Amino acid sequence: MERFFQYFFDGLSLGSIYALLALGLVVVFRGTGHLNFAQGEMAMICTFVVWQFNDWGVPLVLSIILGMIVGFALGAGVETTIIRGVAKKSQAGVFVVSIALFLGLNSLAAMIWGSLPPEQLPGLFPDEPDDFQRIFGAVWRYEYIGVLAVALVLMGLLFLLFAKTKFGLAMRAVASNPESARLAGIPTGIVLASSWGIAGAMGALSGTLWGGIVGELNAGLMFTVFIYASAAATLGGFDSPGGAVIAGLTIGVGEQFLAGYFPGWIGQEMKLSAALLTIFVVLLIKPSGLFGSTKVERV
Amino acid sequence: MSLLEVRALTAGYGPVEVLHGIDLDVDEGEMVVILGANGAGKTTTMRAVSGMIGRSGAVNFGGVDITRTNAEKLVGMGIAHVPQGRGTFPDLTVIDNLRVGAYARSSDHKSDIDRWFDVFPRLAERRDQRAGSLSGGEQQMLAIARALMSHPKLLLCDEPSLGLAPLITQEVFEVLKKLNVEEGLSVLLVEQNANLALKVAQRVYLLETGTVVASGTAAQIASDDAIRKAYLGA
Repeated sequence: MERFFQYFFDGLSLGSIYALLALGLVVVFRGTGHLNFAQGEMAMICTFVVWQFNDWGVPLVLSIILGMIVGFALGAGVETTIIRGVAKKSQAGVFVVSIALFLGLNSLAAMIWGSLPPEQLPGLFPDEPDDFQRIFGAVWRYEYIGVLAVALVLMGLLFLLFAKTKFGLAMRAVASNPESARLAGIPTGIVLASSWGIAGAMGALSGTLWGGIVGELNAGLMFTVFIYASAAATLGGFDSPGGAVIAGLTIGVGEQFLAGYFPGWIGQEMKLSAALLTIFVVLLIKPSGLFGSTKVERV
Repeated sequence: MSLLEVRALTAGYGPVEVLHGIDLDVDEGEMVVILGANGAGKTTTMRAVSGMIGRSGAVNFGGVDITRTNAEKLVGMGIAHVPQGRGTFPDLTVIDNLRVGAYARSSDHKSDIDRWFDVFPRLAERRDQRAGSLSGGEQQMLAIARALMSHPKLLLCDEPSLGLAPLITQEVFEVLKKLNVEEGLSVLLVEQNANLALKVAQRVYLLETGTVVASGTAAQIASDDAIRKAYLGA
C-alpha cells in the first residue's frame, strides 16, 4: 500500500507538469486549430531564460515571472509573425513550420547555453534529504507538493480566466465561431496571439518546474514532457482544457505505476513508449479524446 | 442622406470577382431586401458591406466612409451582421452568446439580455444550454438577438429563413418587422423566400450574377409581371 501511495503521489506531481504543457497545446488548438510541435522547445528556451535571470542575480520567483513573460511574448510573436501568414496559405504548412521551430529553438538553446557546463536550476522549494512529510507511509517531498500546488493554482487561474472574464469569453467565442466572433467586434488577431502567448507562459512554468525536479538543464529538457503532454492532450481531447488536466494527471500516475510495478519489462526506458501507445490507441478508438468534441478532425 | 450608401461595389474571393459594381442604399428606419437566385451574389454583398471580404468601390455608413474599416470595428459603429446559417457560437451557452453580442459595448448589458429573453421566451428557457443543441429556429432567433445586443443602427440579416419550418420563419420575420416599425431599426435582408420578404420590406434590389438588374418599392416589384414570373414563381 505504501508503494501504491508513493507512485500515486509522485505521479500526480509529475502529471501536473504534463498537464500544464498539455493545457498549452489545448489553448493553442482551440484558438487556431493547430498542434504546436514547438510547444516543448518554447518551454525549454524559457526555462533557460529563467536560469539566466537567476544566474544574473534576479531572485528565482521573479526570474520565473520574467520567464513566463518571455514565454508569452515568444508565443504571441510566433503566432503573429510566422503561423498566421502560413496558416492563410496552407494548414499543412503550419505543421511543417512548427517542426522547423522545434528544431530551430533546440539548436538555438544548444548554441547559446550548450557550451557551458550543465546548468543547475535551483528548485523552487526546499529539497534537502529530510524535506518531506510521510502521509499513508509514502514520502511526500516538499518539492513535489510545491510543484503540484503551483500547477493546480495556475490551472485554477486559467479556468477562471476562461469562465469568468470578458477576455475568456472572447477566447471561447473565437474558438467556437471565428467569423461571428469578428462580426461581434472581437479583435480575433489579438485573441489568437494571446492564446499562443498564454500557452507560451504556461510552457515556461511547466519547464521551470520540470527543470527544478531534473536539476540539470539541457536542450533536450522538455522532450519527454512534450511526449507525455501530447498523450495527455490526445487522451483528454484537444479542445478540452479540463480533459487535458485530468488526462495529464492520469498519465503521470499511470507512468509511475507502470514503471514501479513492472520494473522488469517497462521500467524507466519503456515508459515513453507506453505514452506513445496511449496516443495510438486513443486515436484508433476515440479520436476526439475522452472529453473532446469531434471538431478534432480539423487537424 | 442614406444610412448606408454603397457605390460601385466590387468584391469576390481571390481572383474570382463576384460583384461587378453594385449601387445600393438603405435609409434610416427602412427595411430593404435583396432578392436573387442562388449564386447571384447576395451573401457576397452582405460580406462585402460588413468588411468580411476584400472590396473596392465606396461604402458609406452614416456619412462616414467605411470602405477600409475592419469587420470587427463596424459593430461598434452600429452595423450588426447575422451571417447565413451560422450566426451563433455553438459551444457557448445561450446566455454567453448574448454576452458575446455585447462585447463591443462597455456599458451594462444585463437589462438587454432580459429584454431579449422577453422577446424570445424559448431562449430564456434554454439560457444555460449550449447554442449548438438548440433547434434551427431557436438558433436563428439567438443569432438575431446576439446581433441586436450591440445596439445596431443597421442589421444585416443573411437568409434568416434558411432551413426553418414555415411557421418559425414567419415568427422570425414578425420579430424583424416589429423591430423595424417600432424601434426604427434599419434592416438589410437577404432572402430566397421572395413572397415573404416582399411583405415585410419597403424596398427591393434584384440581383443577378453580381449586378443589380432591378430595384424599386416592394409594391412595384411585386406587381411587375416579368419579375414575378422569374423570381416569385407565380
